[in-house]
Amino acid sequence: MLPENITAIIARNEKWLGEAATEPYEAGWAREAVFFVRALKQPIGVAPEAWVEISPDGMHWAPEGTRFRMPAEKDEISVARLSGFGNWLRVATRFEQGAQSTVLVTLHLKA
Amino acid sequence: MTLQKQPTADMAEALRIAMLRADPKLSRFDPLPRIISHDDFSNGHCGWSQLVGNYEDDLDTMLPGYAQHTSAMLSTLGHWDAGSHGGMDSSYALKIATRPRPGAQNVTIKRLTFRKRGPIRFEMYFTFKPEATELKLGETDVRSVGFLFDLQGGDSDASAERVMPHVRFLNALDGQHVHKWQYKSHQTEFKHVGSGDRILSHYHLSPDGWQDLPGGAQRLCYNEIATKVNWTYLRFDFDLEAMKALSFQCNDRIFNMAGFDSIRMPAMKNLWCMLNFALFAETDVAKRAFLYVDSVCISGDF
Repeated sequence: MLPENITAIIARNEKWLGEAATEPYEAGWAREAVFFVRALKQPIGVAPEAWVEISPDGMHWAPEGTRFRMPAEKDEISVARLSGFGNWLRVATRFEQGAQSTVLVTLHLKA
Repeated sequence: MTLQKQPTADMAEALRIAMLRADPKLSRFDPLPRIISHDDFSNGHCGWSQLVGNYEDDLDTMLPGYAQHTSAMLSTLGHWDAGSHGGMDSSYALKIATRPRPGAQNVTIKRLTFRKRGPIRFEMYFTFKPEATELKLGETDVRSVGFLFDLQGGDSDASAERVMPHVRFLNALDGQHVHKWQYKSHQTEFKHVGSGDRILSHYHLSPDGWQDLPGGAQRLCYNEIATKVNWTYLRFDFDLEAMKALSFQCNDRIFNMAGFDSIRMPAMKNLWCMLNFALFAETDVAKRAFLYVDSVCISGDF
């Protein structure tokens, strides 16, 4: 049997401002993961840094270490490649006052 | 001829049953003669995808009920206090998780078509829990879990309809423990989405229009804390010919479906022979609700 491989849409057309994060996603079966964050509309204000978080339980989160810049233009894509992440994954970021972005977050997982 | 054929048919059925009973993966199911799909989530997502709403030109045109949906995931039911609970005979189950706000829903769907209008059977082992964010039982945190079919007759059928049987276990509502089965037969309003007139959408899982299934009160095994779960059996039989529910069973209870009806509407121009199955979860509080499905067996008599 071919190894499992899935594309999950974990945020679609969500307006992010202030503290923002994707919903928790369980990926313990996967050896590798790639997050793609696409700006569906022209972002407003400064594109902040975002980071990947891991968790022991899906409720308490710690930085995984991977950081990237949120897309600064409409249809720009930011990418984070991961391995060795345990089970729970999410992307988090923090926008300055007045800044925002409408995002599509895609998670590719491969066993 | 008939005398010779009947014993052969009986033997074939006896052999079929014997082979099913001897298979540890299938023995817990009672499938009709043809297995359409057997989804054991240790083999992956098995075609259960996110129910995405219709849209045109701009995703902002998607109805809010659909916009909240996210992809289902493969879970080991990992708990903060006890670790992975696991499935019935593998580590994995399919997990449908809502967002953490009262009334939030999430839906996963499997999209097929049928080749004969006859009896079909949907069986699954499932359980549900709220996210264990508090050291409390949380037995009224999950509002409902349930399933629906989305069906339409063939393009040459004389009286084709789109028919959508909906069943939910209303666990709790506004903090009150309800635990009863309900169905929905009222059509929800269609809305045009986008700039043209080709795309329609209706959020048929809206909170209104649910009716009690006669005799449908049932207390399920919920267990003593928020991180202990037990798998529950469910079976729903439906006749694609008459477009009527035939039987419904949950664990040791078999419910009378005489009073059951489905959402019905005129056939749509692009959904012929549609055979869709969807599973959903809904939270009653500002806490994620999780529907876990260990395995699903969909079968038919054709």
